Amino acid sequence: MTELLLARRRAAVFLGLFLFIVVLLTTQFRTSDQRAIGPLGTLLLTALLPVEAGMVRVAESVESLWEQFTEIGRLRVENARLRAQVDVLSRDAAALREQAASAGRLERLLALTEQITYRSVAGRVITRDPSRWFTTLTVNRGGRDGVARNSPVVTPDGVVGRVIEVTPTASRVLLVADSRSALGVLIQGSRDAGVVEGRGSGSLHLKYLSRAAAAKRGDVVVTSGLGGIFPRGLVVGRITSVTREEGALLQEAEVEPAAALDRLEEVLILLPRR
Amino acid sequence: MSRVLIYGGLLVVAGLVQVAWLARVEISGAILDPLLPIAVAVGILRGAEYGGAVGLAAGLLQDLLGGGPLGVNGLTKMVVGFASGLFERSIYIENPLLPAVATFAGTLLSEFLLLAVGQVTGLSGSAVASAPRVLTQAVMNGALAPMLFRGIKGLEVRLARTR
Repeated sequence: MTELLLARRRAAVFLGLFLFIVVLLTTQFRTSDQRAIGPLGTLLLTALLPVEAGMVRVAESVESLWEQFTEIGRLRVENARLRAQVDVLSRDAAALREQAASAGRLERLLALTEQITYRSVAGRVITRDPSRWFTTLTVNRGGRDGVARNSPVVTPDGVVGRVIEVTPTASRVLLVADSRSALGVLIQGSRDAGVVEGRGSGSLHLKYLSRAAAAKRGDVVVTSGLGGIFPRGLVVGRITSVTREEGALLQEAEVEPAAALDRLEEVLILLPRR
Repeated sequence: MSRVLIYGGLLVVAGLVQVAWLARVEISGAILDPLLPIAVAVGILRGAEYGGAVGLAAGLLQDLLGGGPLGVNGLTKMVVGFASGLFERSIYIENPLLPAVATFAGTLLSEFLLLAVGQVTGLSGSAVASAPRVLTQAVMNGALAPMLFRGIKGLEVRLARTR
């Protein structure tokens, strides 16, 4: 009995609610917009819409933050990719700069060979003596290329040294800065003669200069051709200071080498005349 | 009276959350509908009459906030809430899967009823085109149902204690 009453009650409730909904729907579809919320609905919306608007603003802020967050992640990936690309391009650029610099040096060597009357062969520095201020170095040209002992070695900037040892494929060069090196020179302007010796420290010492010689700072010093090794007129360096002692017959000077002896990469070896 | 106010407030909050926040997250065209699992939970816990009444209120609120004709969602959720009440004396009431399965089935029933009402009134679109959306909707609502069911159950327990 109770079950029957319960079932009847349920059916009545369902029917009542269903009828209510059907009536409501009927009123909706009678209007042109198919929507009629009445004064109660208007009151509810008036209360709820501002709250909804506030919640929408919160959602938009969260969306914006999320977009920025994901954008940061995307930008990090893009940044890493671009960094890798920059690394590759930097390496390529460095290689190209190196090639351009090498081409420039070789062009200058070529121009020098066209200026001098000697036969010559270009060589690349392959080793240096690291222990004593770069005073000897090894070049990748030797007897097979016509190089002989005492062959002068030059660059477009100036005198480098002379060959002291020869093998079929390489040669050892004694730099002008070595203390064992000495060559006859002239001051280019005044034609006063002297001898330049190496100091072993990178600079050169000009000796046996006449006291009457008009040597001054900045004067260019060139080979004199005396001694039979270096041709005449090759630039050795530039005077940086002059020393005249009271009562001395001679004066001396310090000379800075014209060739960059610590940064040599390609050199020109002058070959003996046939 | 307090039960009416509490459930009314709960429905208002759920409805606002749906239109303001959940409507921004679409999966295959489906949007999470927290009002339906609430109607199902009340139906299971309190019986068909209460389930139907809460379903009606939830549906009407959804229609009011949504901008469509009043009564479309009211009808469908009323029917689902009422039908859920048939499980009130079920031996499976303590099973956590019950709310999920009931909500899944309730969503399918609701969407079917919406389609039927739409066909009668000339509002809805193609049933075939809606199938993936409906299934996704049912899965999403079913996934949310156990959590809401626990919440509603806790609320009922608290209300029963304060009586």
